[in-house]
Amino acid sequence: MDLNNAQTSSIFHFATEQARSIVDLQIINLVICLGLFFTVAGLITAAAIKFRQRPGDGEPDQSEGHLKLEITWTVIPFLIFCFLGVMTGIVMYKVNPPVGKRQPDVIVNAHQFWWEYRYPKSGVVTANELYLPEGEDLLLEIRAADVIHSFWVPDFGQKMDAVPGHPNNLFLKPTRPGLFIGQCSEYCGAQHSLMRIMANVVSPQEFETWTQSQLKVPAAPIDQTAKHGEELFMSKTCVQCHSIAGTPAKAQVAPDLTHICDRKTIGDGVLANNSDNLTHWIMNAQKFKPGCFMPNMRLNESDAHDIAVYLENLK
Amino acid sequence: MTEASGTHRPINWLAEIPEYQGLWSWVTSIDHKQLGIMYITSALFFFLIGLVLALMMRIQLMVPMNHFVSQDSYNQIFTMHGTTMIFLMGMPLLFGFSVYLVPLMIGARDMAFPRLNSMGFWVYIFGALMLYFSFMGGGAPAAGWFSYAPLTEKGFLSNPGVDYWALSLLVIGIGSVATGINLIATILTLRAPGMTLQRVPLFVWMMLTTSFLVVLSFPALNAAIIMILFDRLLNTHFFSPAHGGSPLLWQNYFWFFGHPEVYILILPGFGVVTEVIPVFSRKTIYGAGFLAASTVAIGFLSFGVWMHHMFATGLGFSVLYVFALSSLFIAVPTGIKVWTWIATMWGGSIRFSTAMLFATAFIIQFTIGGLSGVTFAVIPLDWQLTDSYFVVAHIHYVLLGGMMFAMISGIYYWFPKVTGRMLSEKLGKWHFWLMVLGFNGTFLGMHILGVFGMPRRVWTYPYGLPVVSALNLFSSLSAFVLAGSIVLFFWNMAHSFVKGKIAGDNPWEAWTLEWATTSPPAPENFDRLPPVYSRRPLWDLTHAAQEPKPAAQESTHTEPDSGSEPGEQP
Amino acid sequence: MIKNRVLVGMILFVASESIFFLMLVLAYVHFHNVTGATAAAQLDPIKTGLFSIALFSSSFTMWLAEIARKKENAALVRLWLFTTIALGVTFLTGQGIEYARLLMNNITISRDLFGSTFFTLTGFHGFHVLIGLLLLLLMFGLAVAGRKDEPTHVGMQSVAIYWHFVDAVWLVVFSVVYLWRYV
Repeated sequence: MDLNNAQTSSIFHFATEQARSIVDLQIINLVICLGLFFTVAGLITAAAIKFRQRPGDGEPDQSEGHLKLEITWTVIPFLIFCFLGVMTGIVMYKVNPPVGKRQPDVIVNAHQFWWEYRYPKSGVVTANELYLPEGEDLLLEIRAADVIHSFWVPDFGQKMDAVPGHPNNLFLKPTRPGLFIGQCSEYCGAQHSLMRIMANVVSPQEFETWTQSQLKVPAAPIDQTAKHGEELFMSKTCVQCHSIAGTPAKAQVAPDLTHICDRKTIGDGVLANNSDNLTHWIMNAQKFKPGCFMPNMRLNESDAHDIAVYLENLK
Repeated sequence: MTEASGTHRPINWLAEIPEYQGLWSWVTSIDHKQLGIMYITSALFFFLIGLVLALMMRIQLMVPMNHFVSQDSYNQIFTMHGTTMIFLMGMPLLFGFSVYLVPLMIGARDMAFPRLNSMGFWVYIFGALMLYFSFMGGGAPAAGWFSYAPLTEKGFLSNPGVDYWALSLLVIGIGSVATGINLIATILTLRAPGMTLQRVPLFVWMMLTTSFLVVLSFPALNAAIIMILFDRLLNTHFFSPAHGGSPLLWQNYFWFFGHPEVYILILPGFGVVTEVIPVFSRKTIYGAGFLAASTVAIGFLSFGVWMHHMFATGLGFSVLYVFALSSLFIAVPTGIKVWTWIATMWGGSIRFSTAMLFATAFIIQFTIGGLSGVTFAVIPLDWQLTDSYFVVAHIHYVLLGGMMFAMISGIYYWFPKVTGRMLSEKLGKWHFWLMVLGFNGTFLGMHILGVFGMPRRVWTYPYGLPVVSALNLFSSLSAFVLAGSIVLFFWNMAHSFVKGKIAGDNPWEAWTLEWATTSPPAPENFDRLPPVYSRRPLWDLTHAAQEPKPAAQESTHTEPDSGSEPGEQP
Repeated sequence: MIKNRVLVGMILFVASESIFFLMLVLAYVHFHNVTGATAAAQLDPIKTGLFSIALFSSSFTMWLAEIARKKENAALVRLWLFTTIALGVTFLTGQGIEYARLLMNNITISRDLFGSTFFTLTGFHGFHVLIGLLLLLLMFGLAVAGRKDEPTHVGMQSVAIYWHFVDAVWLVVFSVVYLWRYV
């Protein structure tokens, strides 16, 4: 899956309990808004037809107002908005209850222009592709590493801004499995448009399997090409930004690459993850995502290919 | 129609007034009418530029993964589009209308501070030029029209675009505050004898409220701009979290300004429509008292809703809920206005001139924009829809479908007064219908785009999303229809200025004081003023024989014919 | 007052600037939990307090100048305007000394949030004092070399409004910045 083949997301395709509550409120609001709109549009249309100037019309009655009517059209909307106000409070509290002392299940750290995901309870660290167990009451802590971003998967419900220096909380209880797409929703710079969220909701068992596979430290490469790739990776500037479990590469500026072979895309949704794409990305990421912070590595294709082989063989 | 003015000047076309001949008379002018015309002309010029920027955005978004412009260019384009439309088009347009009309409507010779008036205009031109110079000076600003920190810090955006944005807005802001002060001083001290504040035309009342909002909200923007400039140029730390600064502080200050700003943009439009609808319905405005009171209520409340732009930033239940309630309740006084306009039309005898068509469409479109606004006040819905194309739909329904339609109605209404010639009603109707089609086609679908998860300020969107692709394509095509209607409008203005029918003093049989003098008014505005006993002096004159003077019980003991002059300049 | 456009204009201008200063003060207050210690350690309320008394007195002398103008006593107008200006200059000198001392201790505007908020807030206040001094000099120049009715009564009144505003802002700034440690 890559940019060429995303899935439709919509606030009405609720996939969490929170999203469902919001949809219910959305429908109530829509009915009220449509009611008010058609009242206004209807009255205007009626007035336009009924009171259009006709030949022989004298001057109409210069009515200056009618206190009771004016009070009525002040009070009725006021009551409607009171009702909406009450509903607002109820759903707000339901969807976003106090966190108290609860520890998050996932820490989402937004970067220009990728998403870092950490699971404090298991120790898993990954990037761009999020895995969540179905049916569980989850708390995500939303942080930002640089500028303001926003975490939004419409099918999951509310968005939550990632504000540097001001961690936020997001509750999710996924109700059905699937792959749900979202996007960064606060303008964050050059590649704001290509900062996708790919959230996989899986059964609790699959989630456990995934966790275990993520925690596995990959063995050192045996194959010659992969070994050469590893040499290049460790000697070039790759290690200044990326980390791979079980190796000296420990920087956290860029996505963790330990299990990159499991990801469906490269560059957070820019390219499908295959050998060719990975090679070209490594050679010059700027070509595909200009303005992202991976520089043009200026490698020749053969070297880049070797690094790609190394990364793909990390299991 | 002309008996009240008693003027003998034969001049009936703006281009023939001797005092206004030659570029020098315009460049050095402190005459409120010339300045008003210059404000409006400049605003319309920048409207075209903003429109071109918008078309570039719509072409880029026409199909998925398009490469019409680069990301970098796109980010500058949308920033400049928003900044231009709000500060270089919207504000000058409303100032232009008000500095032109307010003195005439209150029977004055000019504004309270004519030289300050001129300063406000030229400072706007300077700021506008400085903003556009950024394209050549290292890159236009690219952080959006509201420039959130810390993206705007030097570490993230090192080219001087943000500096140009900040400086030019600071400069333009100073001019705006000066004009706001000027308007309030004019309205409070230069009214014609007999014109109490309860008798001013409602456009003037709206401008009075608007001016207070300008005077009290722009300083917050200035403070925020100073802080980001200091962060960028002097290495202070107001907004950089790494040194303890607070990005949310920027948002609070900006929106403390930003929310009143949008009411500043719409209230004059309300004022225009409140003048136009009664005249073309041949009925006095219904419920003037509630209308005036609701305006003041909006003025006060507008300072109490700003955090609704920050609902998704994680502020805590109580704070959020208070602002949700205030944002819901500010819809009540706004709603009062809508009912009032409808009630004015109801039972009237309606002439659908182009001005009236635009005013009527305004009510419907502004209602749509207002209702999408109410949707945002319902916080859980905001949590879904903020920062998506639903917001883009909302803002364009209130600003384009609302404000612009109202101001265009005003242009069709007052063009005869300003220039002496009528705009073509035939071209006007074509303009109107094309614009309604083009506008709604472009923006109605954006509500759905937001529902389908398309965030705002994105340069493109992926393949494989049929609804999103289709809506974007339709929107882009409609944008060209909208642009075409605007071209037609400009042609109407240009052509009618030269060839339009001569208007006469009061072609619409309207009732307020600006119609009690020639079209265009002579430089001194009035030879003689009619007596003012109500909000409709000219209506009173034509009904003096048949009806008792309205509300004359509040006798003000004014004797307008006993030699007191219209607002005199000492 | 509501009838005279110059006074209406000046009052509105002062209202606008008050919001501006309110925002700067709020920024200082917002960061106070981080900057309060530095403020307590580095600022000298006594010395600055003395210079502040000069500024507050200048409001009183300005009031006297207004009364003298109303009574059309040209000599007293000149005297009290001059005194007001002198007191204002004294205050600015004190600010300068305070700034010099802080800068020598390496407390700059960019060092930390204390520097950022302190210098921005007091700096803009000082700038407004400077503008006020220029207005007062204008009044004084008119009193010395102008026509018989200059400076006009309205002119004096409006400059007085501005000058009192500048003093009132300092009252707030001084309390928030210098006296907070005693709360």
